[in-house]
Order: sequence, then structure tokens, then C-alpha cells
Amino acid sequence: MTSRQRVMAALRREAVDRTPVCNPTSVATVELMDLVRAPFPDANRNPEMMARLAATSYTELGFDSVMPVFSIIQESSALGCKMQWEQKDNWPTVRMREPIWVEPDDIKIPPDFLTHPDMKCVLDAIKILRKEYGNEVAIIGKTMGPWTLGYHCFGVEPFLLMSLDDPGKTKLCLDRMKEATVQFGLAQIEAGADALTLPDHATGDLVSGEYYKRYLLDLHIELAERLPAALILHICGKTLDRMDYIAQTGMAAFHYDSKNLPSEAMSIVGNRISLVGNINNPETLFSKGPETVREEVYRNLESGVHLVGPECAIPLQTSIENLKEISRSVKDWHKDHSTSN
Amino acid sequence: MDPHFHDISIALYRQESETGPTLLVHTYSSIEGAQQRIETLSATMATIGAMQQVEGAACQLRFSCGARHQLASRRLFLEACKLPPEGTSQPRPLSIFDKKSSANVTVSSLGNGVYQLSTDGDSEAASRRCSAITGGLAKLGEMESVEDGENRIAFSCGHAHDELTGLLLVRALNVRSTLREQEMAAARGQLAAPSAQKQ
Repeated sequence: MTSRQRVMAALRREAVDRTPVCNPTSVATVELMDLVRAPFPDANRNPEMMARLAATSYTELGFDSVMPVFSIIQESSALGCKMQWEQKDNWPTVRMREPIWVEPDDIKIPPDFLTHPDMKCVLDAIKILRKEYGNEVAIIGKTMGPWTLGYHCFGVEPFLLMSLDDPGKTKLCLDRMKEATVQFGLAQIEAGADALTLPDHATGDLVSGEYYKRYLLDLHIELAERLPAALILHICGKTLDRMDYIAQTGMAAFHYDSKNLPSEAMSIVGNRISLVGNINNPETLFSKGPETVREEVYRNLESGVHLVGPECAIPLQTSIENLKEISRSVKDWHKDHSTSN
Repeated sequence: MDPHFHDISIALYRQESETGPTLLVHTYSSIEGAQQRIETLSATMATIGAMQQVEGAACQLRFSCGARHQLASRRLFLEACKLPPEGTSQPRPLSIFDKKSSANVTVSSLGNGVYQLSTDGDSEAASRRCSAITGGLAKLGEMESVEDGENRIAFSCGHAHDELTGLLLVRALNVRSTLREQEMAAARGQLAAPSAQKQ
């Protein structure tokens, strides 16, 4: 199987020759930036640099997927949020203390939304990767869900307070913001993306499973219906309490955090949705060595997780050696198991 | 990231060789002059931390005792990166003036990796500071306290490391701030969910 075939089959829960190593968020690091001369922040705004840095996931690290949308801010930039682009060793962020919207009627998707330079950069990078790598490797795009856009455009606290005080207004806001998710998703599919990560930060620390059901379940079902590509939902934190709901969305996969045990997560979702994850970032990939990385990879494989990779966008100072160990371990595990079987 | 050379990333990699653990100073940058910068940095580490450069591999370093000294070597790397490449680097002395106690603190090597800290201040505050600095030094160098003597600590390898001790002594005066700086550097570049970001 090619890397692309392997990833796409695993997203459909079909048979694979080995578990794919997948990166639905970002594996950009300062070392990789140096290697291909594509440093942040430029690599978030220049399509050639973005594609070059994204390709290292396949060419250097041995992953089966590439993901050019390293950050979570492209749409918010195009919607008019104030940005902090930062330097090479830090992530660009949205200045959420300076929200751009207060009421549902403020929500307006600008007519040039898809042609804004930060959106066009992603679309062009996907086209470059498709042209360069053809059908070899799975190209994953990213479109932010409406809950995350709510945090960015309304501010975290005002948006959460609105969800407590006025559920109707919150649902109206989510409904309007989801059009941005759909537009950007469709554009990336058209540009050549095989699958889309859909981060929607209803994270375990602030939002309960019941909240997920109330505000996002139906909306995610609708997104899965309207976006004709495999969707990979990404939510950080403890999410076992909502995995049953997530498994009902019709999305292809759920990218889950290391705060959830692979065996417990698998027992909840069964074969209803693929799981991607969940190698710990701050402690394992960033601070420990290859031996610990291998242990975590094996834990996922032994639980039957469908696609293995880091739990979230990896810290920019992570060593290349630790990242290479993920694909090495997956291959070794399958070699050992095919021998013993 | 190296503020003295185009912000390239430089890392210290642990390696195992036939003769024991070594450390490799490495960059993935291929811009002109990057390799030379790495070699200069390795030489600086060798000078200020008395590490040995492995023959035929200028960027590979080891301690003569054969131990890893992980925390101390990491600190040595960070300190070497801070030094401007054009300057001449020298090992730090084993004595330093401590502003908080207005006294000099001296570290004496007693052999077999054991070090004794003392102060020329005769107040109780100076004595307390000397104990605190001993604790800081032990923390930064992963040194063990020696039971038969106050303010006496030792490297577990049983070998003297005067240059390394002198280097760590500077940071031992304010170990909390050093550790805080280390934590902040580690937190940089970690992507937090929007709900967890400092707004």
C-alpha cells in the first residue's frame, strides 16, 4: 500500500498492511524549519515554505500523511481578528482579548474570505503538495470548527458566558460561524486535500460531555454531511465523556489526547469511528527519549488504535529523533507481530 | 535558537559510543557558517566546562569521568550558547561575590568529586546563604550531599569537575530564577488550546 492508501483505508476502518502514522495537526519543529529553510512565521503565510515544511512529515519523519496547516489561526486572520504572528520558535496566536464580534448579527464572512492571503496560502500549499507528491502520501487539510471560531472572534470568556446565559443566541452564532468552516473545508478539498482535520476546542477542561451533545453533536453531524472528505475531529483534553457522541457524528476519525487511555477510548468508540493518537507531547515527545516514545506507540497499537501519531500539534522544540521513532516503532511492532503470528 | 547566528536551532543530542556516553552539538541548518558556529560552540563548551572533544569529531563531547552529568551538561550548553562567539571564553573561578550576603562564597575541591562551600562573611545570614547556595549547586549539578561535613557536596562519578562547578556556581546564587527561566524556555513553542491560552 502507498502511504495515502494506508491512511485512507484506516480512516474507513478497512484492512491495512500496517497501522499508518498520521499527523492531523502539526509536526513542524524548529529543526525541520532549519532543514528546509522554511521558518515560522513565514511558513504560515508563504505557500512554498508551507508546503516545503509540511512535506518533511513524509520525507524526513516517515509519516504517512502531510499537514500544511500548522496553526489554528488562518480563518480567524481572514475573518479580521487581530493576530500576533510571533517568531520562529513560537506559535502565531489570535489576540482574543480584542474580540471582533459581540452579537450574532456581527458575524459576517467577508466576500474575500477564501482569497485572503492567509487562506490562499493554505489552498496553494495543498495544490503544491498534490502536484509534488501525487498519490504517494495523504494530504490532510484543516478547517476550524465553529466553537473554536467562537473563542477567537468573541473571546473565550464572553463566548462561554453566552453559552451559559443564552443557549439560543449561542446556537445561532455557531450556526452562522459554521459557514466559514464549510467554505474553507470545501476549498481545501477542491485544492486536493484527501481529508480534513476539524479542530473544535470544546476541550475537556471547560466543556462537559453534555455540553458537547447540546451544542455540537448535531452541528458536527451536519458538517460531516456537507464536507465530502474524511473528517478528523480534534478536541484536546479528557474527552471520554463525549466519545460516544463523537462516534455518532459520521466523521471518519477522532484525534484524541493522551489524557485518555487508548484502551478505554477504543472500548467506547469500537468500530464506529477511527481513533488517531495519542502520543503525549509535553512529557514524552518533548522531554523524554525514543524509548518512552516507543512505549506509547506500542500502547496504542496494542489497543487497536487505527492511526498512530502525536496527540496534538507538537512543541516546536521537539527533537527530530523522537518524531522519527514513531514510525520506526510502528514498523517494528508490525514486524514482530507478523513474525509471531 | 541561537541569537548569535541567524536564530538557527542548535541541539545537544545524547549519544552512546563504545567508550561511554557522549554529547553531540548539532544543527540541521545548512546555511553558510552554521557548521563553523557549531564547532565554535563545542570548543566553548570544552573550555568552560572542561569537556573533551572526541578525536575526529569536533562537535562530539564527553566528560573525562565517563559520566553523563545530564543536567549540568545541559546548563553548560545553554551558557555556552549565550556567549558571543567573537569573545574569548574562560572557565569561571571557584569563588563569587554574593550580593545578598555581601560576602564571597568559595568552593574548594577536596578530591574524589567532593566540594566544600564556604563564606568569608561571619554573620548568620551569610552562613544561611552559603547553605542555600550549596543546595542550589547540588540541584543544578545533580550533586549529592556529603554527610560528614556542612555545605559539602559531591559528584556521584567521584571525579573533580572544577570548571563545571565554577560555571554552575554563578547560577546557584539564584537557583529559583534559573529554574524558572528553564521552565519558561521549555513552555515556549507549546501550542495550547484557545481556552488554555494566556489572552
